[in-house]
Amino acid sequence: MTHPAVSIQNTNMIFGQGTSNEVQALKDIDLTIEPNEFISLIGPSGCGKSTLLRVMAELISPTGGTVAINGKSAHQARLDRDYGMVFQAATLYDWRTVAKNVQLPLELMGYSTAKKRERTREMLELVELSDFAKHYPWQLSGGMQQRVAIARALAFEPSILLMDEPFGALDEMTRERLNMELLDIWRKTKTTVIFVTHSITEAVFLSTRVIVMSARPGQITQDICIDLKQPRGTETREDVSFFELEKEVRDALRASEKMGAGH
Amino acid sequence: MKERLQRILAPLVVLIVLLLLWEGLVTLFDVQQFLLPKPSAIVSNLITRDASATGEQLFRLGDGLVFYRGAGLNPILAAARFTLKEALGGLAMGVTTGLLVALATARWLALSEALLPFAIAVNSMPIIAFAPIMNNWFGIDNPFSKMAIVALMVFFPIMINTTRGLMLVDANSLELMRSYAASEFEILRRLRIPNALPFIFSGLKVAASLSMIGAIVGEYFGGPRIALGVYITQEASMFRFSSAWAAIIIACVIGISLYLIIVLLERLCMPWHSSFRSS
Repeated sequence: MTHPAVSIQNTNMIFGQGTSNEVQALKDIDLTIEPNEFISLIGPSGCGKSTLLRVMAELISPTGGTVAINGKSAHQARLDRDYGMVFQAATLYDWRTVAKNVQLPLELMGYSTAKKRERTREMLELVELSDFAKHYPWQLSGGMQQRVAIARALAFEPSILLMDEPFGALDEMTRERLNMELLDIWRKTKTTVIFVTHSITEAVFLSTRVIVMSARPGQITQDICIDLKQPRGTETREDVSFFELEKEVRDALRASEKMGAGH
Repeated sequence: MKERLQRILAPLVVLIVLLLLWEGLVTLFDVQQFLLPKPSAIVSNLITRDASATGEQLFRLGDGLVFYRGAGLNPILAAARFTLKEALGGLAMGVTTGLLVALATARWLALSEALLPFAIAVNSMPIIAFAPIMNNWFGIDNPFSKMAIVALMVFFPIMINTTRGLMLVDANSLELMRSYAASEFEILRRLRIPNALPFIFSGLKVAASLSMIGAIVGEYFGGPRIALGVYITQEASMFRFSSAWAAIIIACVIGISLYLIIVLLERLCMPWHSSFRSS
């Protein structure tokens, strides 16, 4: 029997509970994500999409509700290294070369030297940075750094990839190219991707499902299926249904903003 | 290559011109020896190997053991060697304890946060004022009394810098480690310690300079005749200024060398660091 990759039920997150500056970041979240889905979480800033991602990663614990990852508690899933994480900042360690950065999780997980080298080489090939193995992070562009971060997150073959606005700080051209690369990686590795973004185009282009959230309190307002045909490419962006779906997400966001303002 | 040569040559030329100017002006205006000796007179004190006047003076006053150790060496260089040993001994003790205390308290963040303000307060006190006390505790002729004052002076910058480096870790880097379910020890080893390295080296640079200051000023309050600080005070009190100046210059050279060794070590240990990125 297969479990959903992520199953979140009735989950709440209240920061500073019981104090005067209490903030409800998440309210009654219900969300099920099946294996090999590509999910985008989209919403205005402060809608709790990053918080939701951190709850899945068990970097923070919710104040109520249940979170199951691959049929286990979020805590157990973290201990089992079920997911890889990519942040908006590449968060590479300055003192490590590109290869050593990719190797970091493998060191922590006690891979053999041969296996470490093998996986690192494969991952750098996957993100097309084999020639930069011995470079230090500061010698790379922002886009290249983010590709290293993706390689690092995938190095130990986690079944889930959690991405917190990974391309948010990049220019439009680089972002589009990395979107293509990410889809390619997703197809090859068959991971489940949960992707937080501000960009409607990015969400529609990448995802199989877009989850729209509203702010204060952070709630899921819509769950939009993106049934554009796979594999996607440049022609997807010119597809009529692409524009229709973009509009649908935009309308959903507008509606959720109005909802948020009403509170 | 040519640029590098130029970078080294240019300051060297400036130095030589300044020295020549100094020599010339002192001769031209017939400046009194005790006000400002000529560079040539200072240097001649450093190259006499035999028992010159100053050397004899130094060793006649010294005890048998000191005389034996210093025999055959230029008296100033012998004194420099003695003081350098004190400085290095104190530096080693202070740096080791500073690092250990920082590492120990980093394990309990609440403790380091509680300790840090005290350490900063103590660090801003003139610790050198304790030198006479140390001379009393450990014996005025015992090199350990100078090592103790150096260790005490060096301990705080090292401990404060290391603690800061261990604590000031980027939040995302820490979350990344948590996402890998890394143990506290792994986080210390693979994140906190490398993160602290630049901080530790800036502490070491301060410490290297402080170590010679601590040793020499400690000796001003008393010490064996063979020590550099004692030599300087003695020569100055007997109006032998050129040899006093020579000893001061040697102290400066040692201080600068210690600093440069730390800079070199820094480059070797942290080839990735931002301050070397231009090359």
